[in-house]
This record gives sequence, C-alpha cells and structure tokens, in this order.
Amino acid sequence: MNSETKTKASKKKAAVLKSDTNGKLDQIFDLYPREEDSLIMILQEVQDRLNWLPPEALDRVADELNVPRARVQGVATFYRAFSLEPRGEKVIKVCLGTACHVRGAQILVDELERRLDLKVSHGCTKDGRFSLETVNCVGACAMAPAIVVNENYYANVKPDKLDKMLKKEQQS
Amino acid sequence: MPKDRSEKVRVTIDGRSIDAEKGKSILEVARECGIEIPSLCYHPGLESFGACRLCVVEITKPGWEGWKKLVTSCLYPVEEELIIDTRSEEVRENRSVVLDLLLARVPESDVIRQLAAEYGIHDTSYTKREDADTCIMCTICVRVCDAIGANAIATLSRGPDKYVDVPDKDACIGCLACALSCPTNAIPFEEFVNGKRKIWGREFDLVYDEISHEPIGTPEQIDHFAEKSGLPKEYFLKSDKVRKKETAVTFARVQF
Ligand code: FES
Ligand code: FES
Repeated sequence: MNSETKTKASKKKAAVLKSDTNGKLDQIFDLYPREEDSLIMILQEVQDRLNWLPPEALDRVADELNVPRARVQGVATFYRAFSLEPRGEKVIKVCLGTACHVRGAQILVDELERRLDLKVSHGCTKDGRFSLETVNCVGACAMAPAIVVNENYYANVKPDKLDKMLKKEQQS
Repeated sequence: MPKDRSEKVRVTIDGRSIDAEKGKSILEVARECGIEIPSLCYHPGLESFGACRLCVVEITKPGWEGWKKLVTSCLYPVEEELIIDTRSEEVRENRSVVLDLLLARVPESDVIRQLAAEYGIHDTSYTKREDADTCIMCTICVRVCDAIGANAIATLSRGPDKYVDVPDKDACIGCLACALSCPTNAIPFEEFVNGKRKIWGREFDLVYDEISHEPIGTPEQIDHFAEKSGLPKEYFLKSDKVRKKETAVTFARVQF
C-alpha cells in the first residue's frame, strides 16, 4: 500500500495549514449531537471549511465525538466526497469517460499536470488555488472532451485552450 | 421478542433429526452435533457477519413443495421443521466459486489453498491479485479489537482497494488478539526479539510473571484489561500457570 508515503506527504502539508485549522473548526461541533451518528455530517463540515481532511482535524473529530480514531479514518477513506489530500479552492475535473477518452482527454490531463506542477488526486498548487482530478463521464459526452472546474463546464477542450481556461479560473 | 434460549425446535441436518436451541444459527447447531461446515468470517465470540459466504448450506421445509434455497448458515437461525443439507451438489458448487475467488485474492495463503484443494480447485480461474497479502477481508480482527475495547483496527478505503490497518498506532495495546484470531494468518507479529513484541509497526515491552518468569503480556494490555474488567491489576500480573497453581492451593485449603 502506498498509503505510507501518502500520509507522510499530507503530514507535511498539514503542518503548514495547522495554524488556521483549529479556529475554523471551533463552531462545527455544536451543530450536531456529539455522538457517532454525527460523524459523517461533521466530516462534511470539516471538508467544507478546509477543503480536505487533515490528520489533526480527524484527531479532533475523534476526540470531540468520542469515536475511535480508527473508525473516523475508516469513514473518511470510504467516501469519495472526502479528501485526505489538500484540495485547492477549485477542483479541475478532467473527464476520462469513454467519449472524452477517445477524443484525447489524457493529453489534457498530462498537460495540466505539467502546467500546474501537480499530480492527479495529489495535493494542490502551491498557492492553494487548484487541484486536479479525473472523473468517468460527467454526462456531457457531446461536448467531449469535457473539463469541469467547480460548476463551470468547458467543452471541446484542446490543449491550446487550457491557458485561457486557467487564466479565467485564476481570476474569478 | 426476546428469544427463550431453552426453547427447542426440531430440525434435520444431513438426514439427522436434531432438537436445536431456538435462536442459534444453523452453523452453531451443526457444529455442536459434530457436523462440520467450513467458515472463515465466523468467530464464536462475535456476532456473525456473513462476509465470506463459505458456510452456505441448502435449506427446505416439508411445505415448500421441493423448493430449496441457499443460505449462509452462520446467519440463518434454526426454525421448526427446517431440513438442512450441508453438502449437496449446489452447496459444493457455491463454495467452489467462493474459494476460486478467494484464491485469486490471496494466492499465497496456505489456508485458502488447502480449503480450495478440498473442493478440487488447485489454481484459480480468475486473475490473481498482484503483490497479494493473505487478508480475505473477513474483518474478524476489526471486530475482535472492537470487542476488546481497543478499537484500534479499521477497514480503510473501499472496493478492491480496501485494506485493514491501525491508523492510530497509540490505540493498539499489543494484545495479539487480532493476529491470533485471523483465519489466514494475515497479521504479522514478532515475539521475544530482544524481549519485545512487535505488531502493527509498533514495539511493545513484555511483562513477566515474577514467580515463573513467563511472559504475560504488554503493560498496555494489562492496564487495559484491568480497567475494563474492574479487577485489580495484580490479577493480570500472573501467568495462567501460576494462577492455576494458586487456585489449586486455595481449593486444597477449602476441601480440608
Ligand atoms: S465521457 Fe466525458 S462526458 Fe461522457
Ligand atoms: S462464516 Fe458464514 S459467511 Fe463467513
């Protein structure tokens, strides 16, 4: 399992984010009863506020809800909605479904990885702006290859259109 | 409705008529009568989980007009008039599929290889998992650890990437219950290397009985058991052998 190296990487980044982690979480624990049944809701709140689930936030969730740390980790790793890696404010989702794939989506992934100096599903850009993910069909096959950035859809993307897209997303 | 443990139901297992305790599972009843049903995720001290599907048996009833169905015997409670076949053609075929799949998951496991061989499978017909350990995801370790109250083990991730691990090493008390309960010996541990015990990437000291000098357990384990049981810590500082000896002495005094 490469989880070993993964955790190490997230620990490093966690240290950087540490200062602002705690303050942001103070209010969420009063939103729901402090019990195991609230676990998923609380994790969603953490994810909303921090964009990912840093290890020390999970420690705190376990403490506050009095749930074993192992169970928190189990739930946090089970759902796709939770990220154990830092996520940017904007998540660039490149579709790798069949239609997009045959129309060259992989080239877009490679190109974005290079331009953003980022690996798919691994952390975010240094300014915390973007992270990169792939998805399997976003239901817009007629516009293949498609990219979705938060709520914005980009159709028929070619590598030379990426610059414009990034610039636009950088500004908004 | 609470089950009355002493209430009996009459069932037939492999042609034998048996008075079984209501509320028990088919698997439990069969084993009590010496009828062996293979299982992997069943543990007598834990609630049945139904993960491995190896314990399937075929059931029917007189009123079912010959209709039969397969059920997991570790989960299915005995009922009046139930007729159970633990080794029908259908049962063997189903177990074979389960074992064929398990063999693809853990090609290196001696336990699974032997079981599969008993069902005539010597090589899996599916694609073997690469770099496979011998974990079959029965989750006995997770459940045993929870039952003990250490709650240190969890299944992480999901689907084919799912695996078992201890995310917070400090929660582990080094009691070995997980490793010793694992049906496929998938949890490695070391004992007595420089007087230490190693499991889940952590090293534990060992406490020895002062009289017999036998190893008893880790300090963390002894503290945990004392706390959970409410018994004085001294009780756990003795090896089984020494404790038996003392009991014998006490009894001798009581008798005479
Ligand atoms: S394959 Fe990309 S939108 Fe369907
Ligand atoms: S022992 Fe019954 S399903 Fe595993």
